Amino acid sequence: MLTGKNIVVTGCLQGIGKATLKTFAENGANVFACAYAANDEFENFCKDLADKNAVKITPIYFDMSDNAAVVAAAKKIQSAKEEIHGLVNIAGINNDALFPMVTYKDLFDTFQVNFFAQIIFSQYIVRLMQRKKTVGSIVFTSSISALDGNRGQTAYGASKAALIGAMKTMALELGEFNIRVNAIAPGVIKSPMTDKLPENILASKIKTMDIPRLGEVAEVAKLYLFLMSDLSSHFTGQVIRIDGGMG
Amino acid sequence: MTNLEKYDKAFIDAFNVAAEDLPNLKYQDIAAWDSVGHMSLMANIEDSFDIMMEVEDIMDFSSYAHGKEILKANYEVDIEA
Repeated sequence: MLTGKNIVVTGCLQGIGKATLKTFAENGANVFACAYAANDEFENFCKDLADKNAVKITPIYFDMSDNAAVVAAAKKIQSAKEEIHGLVNIAGINNDALFPMVTYKDLFDTFQVNFFAQIIFSQYIVRLMQRKKTVGSIVFTSSISALDGNRGQTAYGASKAALIGAMKTMALELGEFNIRVNAIAPGVIKSPMTDKLPENILASKIKTMDIPRLGEVAEVAKLYLFLMSDLSSHFTGQVIRIDGGMG
Repeated sequence: MTNLEKYDKAFIDAFNVAAEDLPNLKYQDIAAWDSVGHMSLMANIEDSFDIMMEVEDIMDFSSYAHGKEILKANYEVDIEA
């Protein structure tokens, strides 16, 4: 579904990002696989994935809490001189605290990684798309916390809601350049982030779902696949929930 | 092609202006150099000199003359060389 496309994915080290990297490679995409830091396991994972699927996987390492590093990463991608067809922003952090205990630092740190860095990074990638007049697709990873609220997630939910606001405007401005911009809102997905949650909390979440189980990272990856593919060529400005029918 | 020729071509391609009008050209002097035209110009310049400009420099790029200063100071591109 993605043969010949070059796609940038952030947050590839684990969880949803890693599953998305794998899904994209299996569907023929060359991927700039962005991750927080290098390690042998990830390097080998990328190499095996590239060999197995006859695609190019280029690891790019940077810390999204450092804007200079974010810009440097974008310039590194530009220096590859490839046409960029897609960007999937997955990297994110979570600083849970009940509302009265949320500090300014919690808010700032969360917004830095979950919002500011993603917007700055996207600005550069959009310019690469515009420069080559590429038909492009950008996806942000919001959350049901942004739409419904979630106890302890003032900072996280607000940062993910901010992405929706930016996404809507980006979709408006970039549509005429044939760049689509969407967001997905995952519910409770089995990942290193949810592995930290107590069993009783997970059980209470599952009770609210029409499909009473945690989502799998591979299921989220398939939604990104759809949004990166030409199957979604008339989708833009949308927030798509993938939450097993929570409510 | 010299750096000056590449620089001029970036403006001419973006705005369809005459070369003799370039030295005094400023942002929004002509209808074509609006915010959309500005991004086309930046894309042309980035392509011509194989650079990626900081957003702050894109915002600061207010004239043909000042653009030369920005490229020299921040991107090691000397238009007059």
